[in-house]
Amino acid sequence: MKEGFMNTLKIWLREYQVVLTDVGVVIIIIAAPVVYPILYSLVYYPEIVSDMPVTVVDLSQTSESRNFMRQLDATQELKVEGSCISMEDAVQQFKQRKIRGIIVIPESFSEDIANNRQTNISAYADMEFFLYYKTLMMGANFVSLEEGKQIQINNLMQKGLDLNQAGAVVDPILPDDNSIANAVGGFATYAIPVALMLIIQQTLILAIGIAAGTARERHALGTLVPMDKDKMGTFRMVFGKSAAYFTIYALLCVYLIGIVPKIFGYCRMGSFGELAALMTPFLLSCIFLGLTLSVLFKTRESPMMLFLFTSFPLFFLSGIIWPLSNFSPFWLMFRELFPSSNAIFGFIKMETLGATVFECKKEIMAMWIQTGVYFVTACIVYEVQVRLSKRKRAELASTVAQTE
Amino acid sequence: MKSLIKSIWAVAKREIDRMSSGTLYILAVLIFPVLTTLFFCSLMKEGVPAKMPIAIVDLDQTSTSRKMARNIDATPASDVVMSLQTEKEAMSELRKGSIYGYIVLPQNLQADIMANRQPVVSYYYHNGLFIAGGLLRNDFALITHTLSAGINIQKREAMGQSEQEIMAQVQPIQLNMHLLFNPRANYTVYVTTIILPIMMQIFILMMTVYSIGIEIKERTSREWLKLSDKSIVVALTGKLLPYTIIFLILMMFQNFMLYKVMAVPMNGGVGWIILSSFLFVLSYQAIGIFCIGLLPMMRHALVLAAFYAILALSLCGFSFPTESMSPIFQIWSYGFPVRHYMHIFQSQILAGFEPIYSARSIIYLLLFLLLPLIVLNRLKSALIYQNFIEDIHKTDIQAI
Repeated sequence: MKEGFMNTLKIWLREYQVVLTDVGVVIIIIAAPVVYPILYSLVYYPEIVSDMPVTVVDLSQTSESRNFMRQLDATQELKVEGSCISMEDAVQQFKQRKIRGIIVIPESFSEDIANNRQTNISAYADMEFFLYYKTLMMGANFVSLEEGKQIQINNLMQKGLDLNQAGAVVDPILPDDNSIANAVGGFATYAIPVALMLIIQQTLILAIGIAAGTARERHALGTLVPMDKDKMGTFRMVFGKSAAYFTIYALLCVYLIGIVPKIFGYCRMGSFGELAALMTPFLLSCIFLGLTLSVLFKTRESPMMLFLFTSFPLFFLSGIIWPLSNFSPFWLMFRELFPSSNAIFGFIKMETLGATVFECKKEIMAMWIQTGVYFVTACIVYEVQVRLSKRKRAELASTVAQTE
Repeated sequence: MKSLIKSIWAVAKREIDRMSSGTLYILAVLIFPVLTTLFFCSLMKEGVPAKMPIAIVDLDQTSTSRKMARNIDATPASDVVMSLQTEKEAMSELRKGSIYGYIVLPQNLQADIMANRQPVVSYYYHNGLFIAGGLLRNDFALITHTLSAGINIQKREAMGQSEQEIMAQVQPIQLNMHLLFNPRANYTVYVTTIILPIMMQIFILMMTVYSIGIEIKERTSREWLKLSDKSIVVALTGKLLPYTIIFLILMMFQNFMLYKVMAVPMNGGVGWIILSSFLFVLSYQAIGIFCIGLLPMMRHALVLAAFYAILALSLCGFSFPTESMSPIFQIWSYGFPVRHYMHIFQSQILAGFEPIYSARSIIYLLLFLLLPLIVLNRLKSALIYQNFIEDIHKTDIQAI
């Protein structure tokens, strides 16, 4: 018992040495987690699209249409770069990427208003980004509705209603828009939590894989487990290695979850205890999954060639981009294979919605199940590798004995 | 000239032999690219998410509020999956993730409407979800607007206005939204068309670095160079030619999935698709040569390539517009061929603009092809002197 403990400790400390003396691994587990969140935060720093350049095709050329144009320019979303007299002109500017949207005011604009007819404003958005479409729609819609209300109120007051009565007819109910999480719709607030969780999982699995590939390259017969150490039992290997990675990543979490959101001002509603309840099964399941997968990597380059690309599909599997309610049953199941899926969703719920541990029960439970399953698979693959090393060693010893 | 083609052919044949000998090649060059293409095509095949789960909290429980609840259920973007008694319950369900938003019909709703007291109808949506949050916000705004207009009409009827008069006055300014040159506002056109090339660039880049780096690592680079008549240009051309062809075929497979299976509108010629795909593959191979030439130790070159390839999603200006980024990132974004490929796709294939509007993008892509020239000499000497090899000591051999 005591010997087992001492051996586990030895493997644990040896893993620190393996990991921290390898420049390639250090870049992946230290440099990447430190640099990427800062880089992403700076890329998305402005967070929202404001003052998007648009042009107005003013076919009406009246004081009403010019007023409408001023109202558009006054919105936070839009900036009127000038007016054109024809749609062809506007399209020309659009093709040169000078403007991102076109708003057309019809010739009959003032007449329609004067004669109590409905008038039609057309807005054309750039196809390049949905954010542009969203921005143009919000700006143009706001001005159309506000101007429309003013016209209605004026008309009703001419009919003898007072301002309050007219207002109650035009707006019988008042909508109250409440964005839970990410009130301003900032892009970094969507992307950074996903990035943080993915960085943890991907760098962990890559680092464990690279260390395993390197071990195989350094061992005489390409075994994962060194042949010279006969005290390296399966559980000692799995526990020792896991302890090393867990402690390194626990420290990294302090930076990734504690410091980065504080510096850049992202939502931080989860308490230390709640986040620990989420991150513990996440780190453990990532480590055991990494150990399980590591037997597949024969050289130190293989993890980069065979696992790196999963980062983007995993980003989409999180359910933050494409909603989970619209996943097919197959992808819903496939998603459960990766700890990141539940960690991302749970992390966003805790940090931006203020969800409690109980409200994240589903995610936390799923990650504990993954921890259990991947622990078993990690033990199985290591047991196989330990036996393989022993057998090769025995074979080698017998050949040496025979030649002697 | 003839001997040149002959040696390129010999090198290419050698590379095909190497490729077919390892599972890593087959996985990284064929199986994973095809699987990820199918993954993205399948995941978002609906185009626009429909029937997202929401809840109604009806605190009024009158005929008016119940009628409103029925109208809310009828909108296509959302699906009322539960009716709850309190706002607290609804917020908890939202946190659990079983609903993405809810709307609260307040107490005294009916009475307040009758008495012109303008009751407040609140709606809440989970804006931590990128697509769902935005769509639900629009949906809720539309719902409240429709409910409001319905009452507006009733009140005007009570005032004795004619139906025609009401319809003209209830919404004096109507806004019609269009997408320029893209008739279909769906996420297949927006996301899938760009994420597929972003995936492909990872595979092309990593494979280019690997296929060259492995020669240095395994000390076969001299043999390779000898077969190429000691010409680095012949060596690289012959080695990378099979990958150029395979990746071009994979790009055409992606395009087939996009334009034929997913029915993305195509207004430009097939010529543009082939040309832009070809330049795309070549520019990433050029960047790959640059990485391994700069850092001839393969594992370092792979880390460099990975760092660059992962940033493409954020910096090519697809997830977030580059115009809104700080100047340094605006300049950096030009360093991603996928950005120029995206522009060609948007203006030529989607919109069918005149070719002149894509001339700049083509020139940028061609500029990437000059990158290898910078490192050719360095790479050649690394291949000859093999001075970038990490000595691997067998750590467990002494014991035996």
